[in-house]
Amino acid sequence: MEQAIDFLLRWVHFFGGIVWIGHNYASVVQRPSFRPLRPEDLGDEQSPAYMALLGREHGTFRYAAVVTWLTGVGMLWQRGMLGDAMALNGYQTGIGIGFWIGTLMLANLWLVLWPHQKKVLGFVAAPLEERVRCARITFLSSRVNTMLSIPLLFFMAAGPHGAALFA
Amino acid sequence: MKTPFDTAGGTIALGLAVTLALYLLARCLVLGG
Repeated sequence: MEQAIDFLLRWVHFFGGIVWIGHNYASVVQRPSFRPLRPEDLGDEQSPAYMALLGREHGTFRYAAVVTWLTGVGMLWQRGMLGDAMALNGYQTGIGIGFWIGTLMLANLWLVLWPHQKKVLGFVAAPLEERVRCARITFLSSRVNTMLSIPLLFFMAAGPHGAALFA
Repeated sequence: MKTPFDTAGGTIALGLAVTLALYLLARCLVLGG
C-alpha cells in the first residue's frame, strides 16, 4: 500500500510539474528577450470569454504548482525523509535543496508574480503606467523560476539517481 | 536595468551556474557532514 501511495504521489508530482514548468518554458519560447509592455499587447478585457480563458490558463499553472509542491512534500513525508531533507542532513541534502528551491518557486509564483500579473492582465484595474511597471516584475519573476527550474530538476534527478555525484 | 534574465541565454546560463554552485555546496555537506 505504501509503495502504491508513493507511486501515485510521484506520478502526480511529475504531471503537475510538467503542466507548471511547461507553461513557464512556453513563455520563454514565446518571448525569449524582454521588451516593455505596449498598449497593443493588451487583450480584449471587455470580452468575458477572453478573460475567462486568461483566468483558466493562469489558474491551471498556479494550481498545478500547488499540486506539484504538495505531492513532493507528501513523498518525503511518507518516507520519513522530510525533516532530514529540510535540514539538509546527509544524503537527503540533494533532495532537500530541491525542496527549498521548489518552495521558493511556489512562493515566487503566488506572492510575487500573481499579484502583479492580475494588474497586467486586467483582473485588477490599473493605469497603463502601472501595468507596464508590473509587466517588468512579472517577466523577471517568471524568468527567476525558469532559472531555478534548472537546479531544481538537477536535484530532483540527483536525489534518487545521483549517488555517484556524491561519492 | 539589464539583468541576465532579460534573455533566454542569460537565464539558462545563470541556471547552470547556480546548479554547479549548489552541487558543490551539496557535495561538501554530504561528504563533510
